[in-house]
Amino acid sequence: MKALQWQGVNKLAVGEVPDPELRNPGDMIVKVGKTVTCGSDLHLLGGYIPFMEKGDVLGHEFLGEVVEVGPDVHKHRVGDRVVVSSFIACGSCWYCDQKLFSLCDNGNTNPAITETLWGHAPGGCFGYSHAMGGNAGSHAEYVRVPFADVGAFAVPDEVSDERALFASDSASTGWMGADLGGVKPGDVVAVWGAGAVGQMAARAAVLLGADRVIVIDRLDNRLQQVEKFIGAETLNYERTDVSGELRERSGGRGPDVCIEAVGMEAHSPGPQFAFDQLKQQLRLQTDRPTAVRDAIHACRKGGSVFVLGVYAGFVDKFPLGALMNKGLTVRGAQMHGQRYIPMLLERMAAGELTTEHLATHVMPLDQAPEGYRIFKEKEDGCVRAVFTP
Amino acid sequence: MSRTGKLLLIAVPVVAGAAVAARRRRVPGAGEQRRRHVVTVFRPLAELQAEPLPGSLKEIADDVEITLSAAPGGRGTEIAVRIPEGSSVSSGDVRRALRETRSLIEVGDVLLPYGPPTTVPTLLNRPLQTATRHGREGGLL
Repeated sequence: MKALQWQGVNKLAVGEVPDPELRNPGDMIVKVGKTVTCGSDLHLLGGYIPFMEKGDVLGHEFLGEVVEVGPDVHKHRVGDRVVVSSFIACGSCWYCDQKLFSLCDNGNTNPAITETLWGHAPGGCFGYSHAMGGNAGSHAEYVRVPFADVGAFAVPDEVSDERALFASDSASTGWMGADLGGVKPGDVVAVWGAGAVGQMAARAAVLLGADRVIVIDRLDNRLQQVEKFIGAETLNYERTDVSGELRERSGGRGPDVCIEAVGMEAHSPGPQFAFDQLKQQLRLQTDRPTAVRDAIHACRKGGSVFVLGVYAGFVDKFPLGALMNKGLTVRGAQMHGQRYIPMLLERMAAGELTTEHLATHVMPLDQAPEGYRIFKEKEDGCVRAVFTP
Repeated sequence: MSRTGKLLLIAVPVVAGAAVAARRRRVPGAGEQRRRHVVTVFRPLAELQAEPLPGSLKEIADDVEITLSAAPGGRGTEIAVRIPEGSSVSSGDVRRALRETRSLIEVGDVLLPYGPPTTVPTLLNRPLQTATRHGREGGLL
């Protein structure tokens, strides 16, 4: 079958790879209908997460049709249209019982890597390096889905592929940030990053009853999407004193909940960007934490900061003093998709959550390397590139 | 920075990590023989006591000391394994056995790696492939 393969740092190619096989009784094979780029893929592409092998298949956010099921799959049948959580979870361990699915004890076949790096291993993920299990990703004609009864969900007839696709990761991740960040009616919520995850976090905050939701980015086309489709306010950090604006728009208190949806390759105006980029290139820090710093600084006393952006290792100049003295609660997580996807599909069916506008570029899988180039360079107003194998 | 430079920057920590992992497998540290390896399985103690432990933990049971105790807060059962002096079982064997046994008890199965592989062997891939061949044996457990 055809698949988009990582060939080295900033080098992608579409090649022929063996078709996936059922390996466990709970597996199924999905014929990929739509699969989409994610900003976190750029960390793999650029070599910031050094656990890729030449030939690895990228992609973790997808939707498709079931073509083969293992004997222990009871929820799905051949022909079902399903959307699949990007994180792989068993559904039976203590973490899954607590609905913390991305922390599953049994979903990662290579726990040694992340356990050594981080103390404990999270679950596995599609197309996200050998640190996350080495599972082939969804930028392919077919993909193996382990624990299919736990991680795959039938798409209601009234929800289009274009909409349901983003339940797989972006919408689940965004909703998690607002939910576990503790957004309540009456809150002021600030979201750093107007990509797909940031937009979905902002929409979740709106739907959870926040009084004001403010999204921060530097790209006008994304901020225009926020105003048009999400129903939130915007700030362009290249033209605005974000800290001052947030203070003013929250009555001097600061936002109650700050959601960071940027990740380890953050941009920012001013000298701190050059400082962070230099340190990252020299591997003196693995990640650029600009947006996290800003979120912690802006957040109100006793407020909540949720880190949705993907980070891999270590950062410099982390504002621990502000965190401690302001009494903040800081949380983060990879996405617990299994917890949110059924509810999101219902909201999508009801028209409360629309995502089609995120797919600014749709193209065949053959053009995926170019799709990633456009996505990485943010050319032509690209928010997400969707591939149709 | 050149592509070669970037690749070296990636390769060096990976190689170093793999080397450390390999060394840990070969040479037990001074405390390694004494400390216990422990996992918590999300099943009640009575259920685990009712039948012999499954999988690869059963295979090494005669060469190690295994203790079961109830985990606090309804978290299930703690399985602790101590490797006695002179045992031929390594810490890697125990880690793999504990992880596989936990999965067998909780899920009824152990997740197998993706296959057939899509990657190709290269000089840069080799350290990572070495590490992932023993993906359940390493780590801190």
